[in-house]
Amino acid sequence: MSDEIENKSGYQTQSSETMNEYSGAAVGDVDYVRPAEIPEQDLYHGHTFLTKWVFCQDAKVIGVQYFLTAVFTGIVGLILSWLMRLQLGFPELAGFMTAEHYYQFVTMHGMIMVVYFLTALFLGGFGNYLIPLMVGARDMVFPYVNMLSFWMFFVAVAVLMASFFVPGGPTGSGWTLYPPQAILDGTPGSGAGILLMLISLSLFVIGFTMGGLNYLITILQARTRGMTLMRMPLTVWGIFTATVLAMLAFPALLVSSIMMTLDKVLGTSFFMPTILKAGEVLEYGGGSPILFQHLFWFFGHPEVYIVALPAFGIVSDLISVHARKNIFGYRMMVWAIVGIGALSFFVWAHHMYVSGMNPWFGFFFASTTLIIAVPTAMKVYNWILTLWRGNIRINTVMLWCLGFIVTFVNGGITGIFLGNVSVDVPLSDTYFVVAHFHMVMGIAPLMVIMGAVYHWFPLVAGRMLHEGLGKWHFWITFLGAYSIYFPMHYLGFIGVPRRYFEMYDSPYMTSGVGLNEFISLAAFIVGAAQFILIYNIIKTLKTGKPAGKNPWKANSLEWHTSTVPPEHGNFGERLPVVHRWAYDYSVPGAKEDFMPQTTPPSEVSNTEVEKT
Amino acid sequence: MEETKKKEQQGSTHKIGIYLWIWGLLFVLSFFSYMVDWYQFQGMLRWSLILFFMFLKAGLIMAFFMHLFWERYALVNVLLWPMTAIACFIVLMAAEGQYTLFSRLFYFFVGGGQ
Amino acid sequence: MSEQKIVDYEFKPGFKGMAHDTGSDQTMFKGVHWGKAMMWIFLLSDTFVFSCFLISYMKGRASTPVEWPNPSEVFALDAFGVPVPLLLIALMTFVLITSSGTMALAVKYGYEKNKKMCGWLVLATAVGGLTFVGMQAYEWSKLIHEGVRPWENPFGAAQFGSFFFMITGFHGTHVSIGVIFLFIYAYKVFAGHYENGGKRGWFTTMRGDYVEIEILGLYWHFVDLVWVFIFAFFYLW
Repeated sequence: MSDEIENKSGYQTQSSETMNEYSGAAVGDVDYVRPAEIPEQDLYHGHTFLTKWVFCQDAKVIGVQYFLTAVFTGIVGLILSWLMRLQLGFPELAGFMTAEHYYQFVTMHGMIMVVYFLTALFLGGFGNYLIPLMVGARDMVFPYVNMLSFWMFFVAVAVLMASFFVPGGPTGSGWTLYPPQAILDGTPGSGAGILLMLISLSLFVIGFTMGGLNYLITILQARTRGMTLMRMPLTVWGIFTATVLAMLAFPALLVSSIMMTLDKVLGTSFFMPTILKAGEVLEYGGGSPILFQHLFWFFGHPEVYIVALPAFGIVSDLISVHARKNIFGYRMMVWAIVGIGALSFFVWAHHMYVSGMNPWFGFFFASTTLIIAVPTAMKVYNWILTLWRGNIRINTVMLWCLGFIVTFVNGGITGIFLGNVSVDVPLSDTYFVVAHFHMVMGIAPLMVIMGAVYHWFPLVAGRMLHEGLGKWHFWITFLGAYSIYFPMHYLGFIGVPRRYFEMYDSPYMTSGVGLNEFISLAAFIVGAAQFILIYNIIKTLKTGKPAGKNPWKANSLEWHTSTVPPEHGNFGERLPVVHRWAYDYSVPGAKEDFMPQTTPPSEVSNTEVEKT
Repeated sequence: MEETKKKEQQGSTHKIGIYLWIWGLLFVLSFFSYMVDWYQFQGMLRWSLILFFMFLKAGLIMAFFMHLFWERYALVNVLLWPMTAIACFIVLMAAEGQYTLFSRLFYFFVGGGQ
Repeated sequence: MSEQKIVDYEFKPGFKGMAHDTGSDQTMFKGVHWGKAMMWIFLLSDTFVFSCFLISYMKGRASTPVEWPNPSEVFALDAFGVPVPLLLIALMTFVLITSSGTMALAVKYGYEKNKKMCGWLVLATAVGGLTFVGMQAYEWSKLIHEGVRPWENPFGAAQFGSFFFMITGFHGTHVSIGVIFLFIYAYKVFAGHYENGGKRGWFTTMRGDYVEIEILGLYWHFVDLVWVFIFAFFYLW
């Protein structure tokens, strides 16, 4: 293999001398940028179908592979949510569903959406595609490991999907997989189902670690000349911080998975207390179920921000581009992302107020939880101030961004309710919680994903997605999603518990029946509306309007590649040299309303541009 | 110190002496921590001695064998700050362990809550 | 170690240097090889794995109302008919620290491009690691022989065996993986993969360099580091 690279590699490693000679400007000149510290990366170019599209080492292809796999699991999750809503809204039509099925669907829906859909999509999909392009690298620093990362993820998804077909079906213990019930008879899928789930999670963690190392080292050690950390687009900051969180939080998930697997297979009692089953004492004894909850949420809470931070970053870029204005308070945004990331390791037990943990913890975790609202709120203000007096283009991308701000603020405010112990106690395990987390980490990041798809599709495929269809897609999704989750807050207030298969004729349901039917109808429509996007993509790939170069007139490097879509190696002959941040939009006195990051200062000497 | 500074600027390696020193120290410290058990110290003395030798050994390995002493602060800080999350986790889980023990004794053995 | 010269870049000391490095373009860790940076971040992640294991152990041990077995007695070994507490563990610690020392020297000789010394020292480290794994296997079989199982043991709280086998097992897995790689890299050193500009690796387009020995060394010292904590918390505490 190495000989192949020697002979056919498109790029020759430039010796450091030639790199030093090239700079275009001498020391002391305004345009001067330090020469490259390290010689350029050699890349392995695939020649066959297999090495080009299947076991490909190009981060962009890997990103698309991640994206498609994650979307596939997402569609499975969507179908599961339809089935759940069918049962809740119209139980008479869901005769084929038993309570066991319902719990299995709840569990798989939750786990798929949080881990295998959102995490993989943001970090694996957008991260792989955008990081090397945005920081001006040829590729990820370890392309082979990157390829392994995807295939490990693929195997994890395959194992997860296999659990639908094993005897007993997938696990039905809720996405939090709390022991002891997760591995005891009586819980659906407590045999092979839970085992496959734990194995799949472990594989996911291993695969993700390989990918995450790539993202981090690419961002930290492989930026192009002139690209300082404070010139990176916020997308990269969001993905970077989320990856740091993932590297530090997934270990807790791995450890809890291993321990629970041992409890299940070997009969150890890490998490299993003494248990009476039908009057008989089981073999287990002395374990601590609450330890699992702590481990799980030590992973679980950073996980929320693993999903949210890339969304924060991406939406900042989209808003800035489509409002033709620099992002308001760039440094504040960066520090807010970093601060949220750091704080997210100190708030985990606010998921456990009613778990029977040490009662003194409530004070600590309520305080940290409310503190984390501060940087989050700063970000919201900054998005709004970016829009303020911007030259806003109300296109599909911008609509998704506005939708994000609204849903995120809504979900964030209910989060403040739930962060307080005394308010959380009556509300926990009701539909209020369901509404809260779907708003804040379901719908809001999804809005960003949709916006990002409409924004970057022209780059990936070279064609513009259809605007009209996009607007239909947005409005149905946005209004529909509100119709689903807004009434759920009310259901929560009247005390409807979550995760119940059926409400029978409990007093809750006197006013809840009609609402449940309404929510279900909205859910069917919103789910179906997502196929508009799929139709739009297929149609665009065939007959869409060619995008040309840089259709949004954006500044960041991914739009300034030598070809669109960018080929392997991203930037052609020479890597770009960066002279400014990614947000020089509508600069007074400039020729155009945007100024790519590669514009040297000498070209803009007459404009009032701040030094960034 | 002056010596090492000059060395690192040349980008070459350290003298063999420093490694042998640390190596020897690690043996001695391990021997001491073994002695803690040998003499069966108990209570606070035992725990503080164990922790003292442990952190000293860990620090020596990290600083000299893993070269962290000679690395730039950018790397050192990136590696050490995340440990605050672990520290917080340790403190809280210690409290949680005490509380679990308390509630087990209270409800299962003393018969509280009946 | 990492401070080679960089054109037009001034290395500043201390925290000022940290701010300067972090604020600069291209790299944050100046002069640090990609693979080495990756290994450090990986080890940070792995630290969290072991921390979670040890924290679970702490929580489990702190909250059990059943008596915890006295490790000093459980791990005692008969030497000439006298039970010596923790004898085997002390020997294991000795072996692992020895191998850590040889590894540190291997890294040093690697940077001096002393192929022979480097190769032999890596090999010695591998043999040390193998000895450690062997002793651990002996310890496991001895305990299993005495009736200690992951789910129960004759000495007290059942969690003792669970945590013991899980944590030492996970550490042993790390050692074993390390030993495999040490043998591979000993071969690579002797085969001259790091000489004359370096040979390209199997799965990478990067050229071989003696920095790989340092990267491997980081992993190996980490394994030793974890053992320091396991020794303190599991055997002495």
